[in-house]
This record gives sequence, structure tokens and C-alpha cells, in this order.
Amino acid sequence: MAELTSQSVEGGESPRRRRHWPAELNALIGLVGIALFIEILGWIFVGQSFLLNLARLRIMILQVVVIGIIAVGVTQVIITGGIDLSSGSVVGATAMIAMSFAQAGEIYGEPNTRAVFWELGWVDLPVIVPLAVGLGVGLLAGFINGALIAYTKIPPFIATLGMMVTARGVAKWWTRGEPVSFPTDQFAAIGQGMTPVLIFVAVAALFYLILKFTVYGTHTYAIGSNQDAARMSGINVERHLVLVYSIAGLLSGLAGMVVAARGLTAQAGMGIMYELDAIAMAVIGGVSLAGGRGSIMGATIGMLIFGVIISGFTFLSLDAYYQEMIKGAIIVAAVVLDVWRQKRRAMEG
Amino acid sequence: MKKTLMAAGLTAMMSTAAAGETIGVSMALFDDNFLTVLRNGMSDYVDTLDDVDIQILDAENDVGEQLNQIENFAASGVDAMIVNPVDTSATAAMTQAAASAGVPLVYVNRQPVNLSALPDNQAFVGSNEVESGTLETFEICKLLRGQGLTDGAQAVVLMGELSNQAAQQRTADIHDVLELEMCNFIEIVEEQTANWRRTEAADLMSNWLSAGTEFDAVISNNDEMAIGAIQAMQNAGMDVEEIVVGGVDATRDALLQMQQGNLDVTVFQNSAGQGEGAVDTALALARGEDVARTIYVPFELVTPENMDDYMQAN
Repeated sequence: MAELTSQSVEGGESPRRRRHWPAELNALIGLVGIALFIEILGWIFVGQSFLLNLARLRIMILQVVVIGIIAVGVTQVIITGGIDLSSGSVVGATAMIAMSFAQAGEIYGEPNTRAVFWELGWVDLPVIVPLAVGLGVGLLAGFINGALIAYTKIPPFIATLGMMVTARGVAKWWTRGEPVSFPTDQFAAIGQGMTPVLIFVAVAALFYLILKFTVYGTHTYAIGSNQDAARMSGINVERHLVLVYSIAGLLSGLAGMVVAARGLTAQAGMGIMYELDAIAMAVIGGVSLAGGRGSIMGATIGMLIFGVIISGFTFLSLDAYYQEMIKGAIIVAAVVLDVWRQKRRAMEG
Repeated sequence: MKKTLMAAGLTAMMSTAAAGETIGVSMALFDDNFLTVLRNGMSDYVDTLDDVDIQILDAENDVGEQLNQIENFAASGVDAMIVNPVDTSATAAMTQAAASAGVPLVYVNRQPVNLSALPDNQAFVGSNEVESGTLETFEICKLLRGQGLTDGAQAVVLMGELSNQAAQQRTADIHDVLELEMCNFIEIVEEQTANWRRTEAADLMSNWLSAGTEFDAVISNNDEMAIGAIQAMQNAGMDVEEIVVGGVDATRDALLQMQQGNLDVTVFQNSAGQGEGAVDTALALARGEDVARTIYVPFELVTPENMDDYMQAN
């Protein structure tokens, strides 16, 4: 039995092992190509360098890491062959709920009587409270997603679509749509300066290592490659799926707190469309929607491509319309490339 | 479909619950700060009235959903409807649906495209959008003149969602004011959308600053984006008090920024007043009284001098 286990797990990994042309490399070439293209246009039309500008490099990364944190979780979900559409709404719900526990008792010397929990006296709480609440909300949403998918066998698309609608409802209901502003300095620090980037790097590095070197990672790839084979080889597929979706929810919750701390406000409409951007980042980075293949490294490159495009188009003073059109075209191109690669692999057999 | 049925069921339950008048309200979306003040203004006002029931639905920014809600209200026999249109160019179908059911309809806040063709039992309560961008930009123009920049000044413009009528109108107002002889010393160096959102505006401003864009004024279509721009300038170590920053809405967050000297101009749109006006107009129409087709609630300019009057308003 032990032999069988190791064999099928190997089988699940083998496509990655063949690595004659890893998907991440395509994405990296894309990233460098786009950046150089904008650099050249910059010299021609704007008369300055696009990349050799520290402030721009900072914002380029800073503006995408929140969705990047989500993409780290979504990448794992996609590797298992699933999808998570609820991330953006979970961001909204966690931002609202966590921020309510993070409000300052005083704003510019005046008592903050409009704080959500003012009457209960829950202001100026230590930062651990909103952090625990926010991570808890995210974890709960992810756990419900995972449990629904693993045990009722409804498709991930439907289960997480349900959570997408429900969590957005929670975000609006929490304060009847009123924004929640003015966090304590401790909570605000989560989103200030380059802290969001540090959080992303820590999260990405952690899950990069976990996916690469632990049983958790092996099982995640095995389930995505062939769920039945994974089950036959003794992997508790249901329990593992619950774990993967819970982690994705947890990371969405974390992203929700970072975005709220960055803007110093939580609003019910926060995070709309984040789920699609996160999925797009993963797909652009070579994470296969068919499951079984992809990496955190790829998703990170996908994220950086987004950053370069957003900053690049603003730099070139191009309208937002073109930005969206080109973003869409890149997503489709990435999927076409993936399908083409799968076909070739099948032919090589 | 399920949602429609549920809404219909709820509407039916509500309308049998009270003997007095029932008003059905369809809001474009719930998760918008300004519309939330308007919505809560309506429900708070109705709470003070005897024998009036109100049911508020969220159209979730979906034109089709909103039309369904209107037809459901009509079918369940409400006495009047208040609609905050998702899309101001899609109001003809809504007017028709209400008119054919004989139910009075009041549009609130967003001006319907068919305003001049509304039947007798329909009206619009809102503010004249031309005023907001004009008041804001003209005050910014005066402030820049006051700084002695009449030889030439530069401004960046933060636009709301491009498909939105208020964003288009306010941006057009900015251009109109800057064409005036008194204000044509101001040049727009950048103009981009940040979709009404604070974080998007902060990112956009950071991108501009990293490109070395120089400016004396930030003209924003709303306060949230102005705050985002302020936060980005502060992060870049700029002295925000030296830059003239203007927004629209006079939200609480914005007024606190004004207290700090960061925001110089905003414009108050009396959203609660619009909500009350819409309820009054709807009730008058339900009772068969004559009302004016357009009822304007004026915009009000807010500056550090009079900001205290508005601290409790929003």
C-alpha cells in the first residue's frame, strides 16, 4: 500500500517533472516583454524611463499585492481542479467586520461616537482582536465553501458563487451599508507603507515552500491531476479539499484587512471583482484551470504583469478603457496557451 | 427568478400589513455611501409618519433587476413607487411599467433621461447636477487666483465611473468652468477615472507622482477619491496643505480631512433632504395631488469657513 501511494503521487507530479518548458517561463517572458515594450514607448512618448523609478516600482507592486494575497489561495484551489468565486465578497465582509473591532475611540481629539461598537465600549481594542476576528470570518467562509464542495459534491463554481452572494449580503447588512472608518494606528499599520508587500511576500513564500516540500502540496497536486487516483491511493480527498478552501478563505480575509487598513476605511462594496482578477493572475502565471499544474511563483508573475499594465497605462496617459481591453486579451491569450500546451502534452503522451 | 419570486412574496406580505399608504422603493445599489444616507433618510423620515409603510429593495446595479422590482411593486398594489435608477438612460421602460399599472412614480437623485416626457403622476426629486461640479471647480479657481497663480496653474482630474451620468456631468462642468476667462489660466495635465473609489484614486495618484506629474490642484468628482489622492500625496511626503484639493459629497470622512487642512472644497448634496422630498412627493401623488414635475434640492458649497454646519448632516 505504501508503495502504491508513492507511485500514484509520483504519477500526479510527473507532468511537472518533465519540465522542458515550464509555464512560469512563458509568463516571465511575457512580463519582461510587456515591461520593456512600455519602457520603449515611455522613452518615445513621455521622455522618461518607466522602470528606473523607485516610486513607480513601489506603487506597481503595492497596487496589486492585496489581490496577490488572494491569488496565493486561489492558486491552490485551482490546482485541486476547483475555483473560488467568493474571494472578493469575503474581502468586503471581513473588511467591514474586522474594521468594526479596530476603530479608534478618538478622532482628532474628538470622541468617535459613530464607531460601530461605541455603546459597548469596544474601541481602541488591541490589534489582535480585529486580526483574529477577520481571519476567523475568512476561515469560516472558506470552511463552508470547502465542506459544501467536499461533502455535498456540488460543483465548486456553484458553492463559491453562493458564498459570493451571501458574503456580499453580510458586508451590506453589517452596518446597513454605512462605511466603517478611522481604525486605531496599530490596525492602520497593517496597510501603511510597504507592509502589504511584506505580508504578500511572507504568505507567498510560505505557501511556495509548503506546496513544494510537504505532503499537503503533494496531495493538492495529486487531487487536481486525478481525483479518483488520489482517493485510491489513500488520500482523504474530502478533508484535504476542506483544508484548501479554508486556506483560500483565510487569505481572502487577510486581504480584506489589508485593503481596509490601506484605505483607512471599510466599505460594503470593497473587493468587487477581486476574485476574477485573482483567478486571472493565476491563469496568466500558468496555473492550469484543468487542475494539477501551476505554482505560486507563476501566480506571482501573473500578479506583477497586472501591476506593470496598470502602472504602464497610467504612465503612458492611456485611457482606462484600453487598460481593461488589453487585460482581457492577455487573460484569453494565457488560457489559449495553456490549452495548446495541454494538447501538445497529450500528443507526446 | 427565485429572487424575483421572493421579492414578490415579501412585497405582498408587506402591503397587507398596514392599512395606510405603502411606498415601494427600488435603490440602484445599497453599498454606496451616498445612496445609503439617502436610503436611511427615507426610512427614518417614514418612521416619523403615521400609517405609511415603506419597503426598500436593492437593484444591485442591475437594470433588469430594477425593472422586475418595479413590475412586482405594481403587481402587488403599492400606492406609489420611488426609484433611484441604476441607469438613467433606461428609465423609459420603468415609466411605462408604472404608468400602465396606474401607480405614481418618483425618480430620486438621478435624473431620468425622459424627464420632459414624464406623465402627470410621475416626478423627479434630485439636485441639479450641473451645480455640483461648477461650484467645486469655481471655488478651486478662486483659491488658485488667491494664491497668485494667474500666470498658469496645473490641475489633475479624478473622474468617477465613466458610465455614470453624474461623473460625466461633473467632468463636463470642470471643463466648462476652466473655459471661463477668469479661470482659463488652469490647465488640466492629467484626467483619469478611479471609479469613485478611495484606493483606486490613491494608486492612480501614486502613479502620477512617480511619473513626476506636477500640479497645483486636484479636482475630484467625489470626496472618496479626493481622500485617496490626499493619502497618496501624504505617503509621498508632500505638503498637502499647499495643494488645492476639491471633492463633492461632504461626507464625514471628507469633513474631517477638511478640518486637518487637507481638503479645501467640497459640495454638499442634501441626500437626506432628497429622500424626504421623494417620500413627500410620492405621498402627494398617491393622494392625487398636483406636484411639479421636477423638484430640485440645491447643492451647497462647503469650505473650512462653513464646514461646522455640515458636520452632523451626513
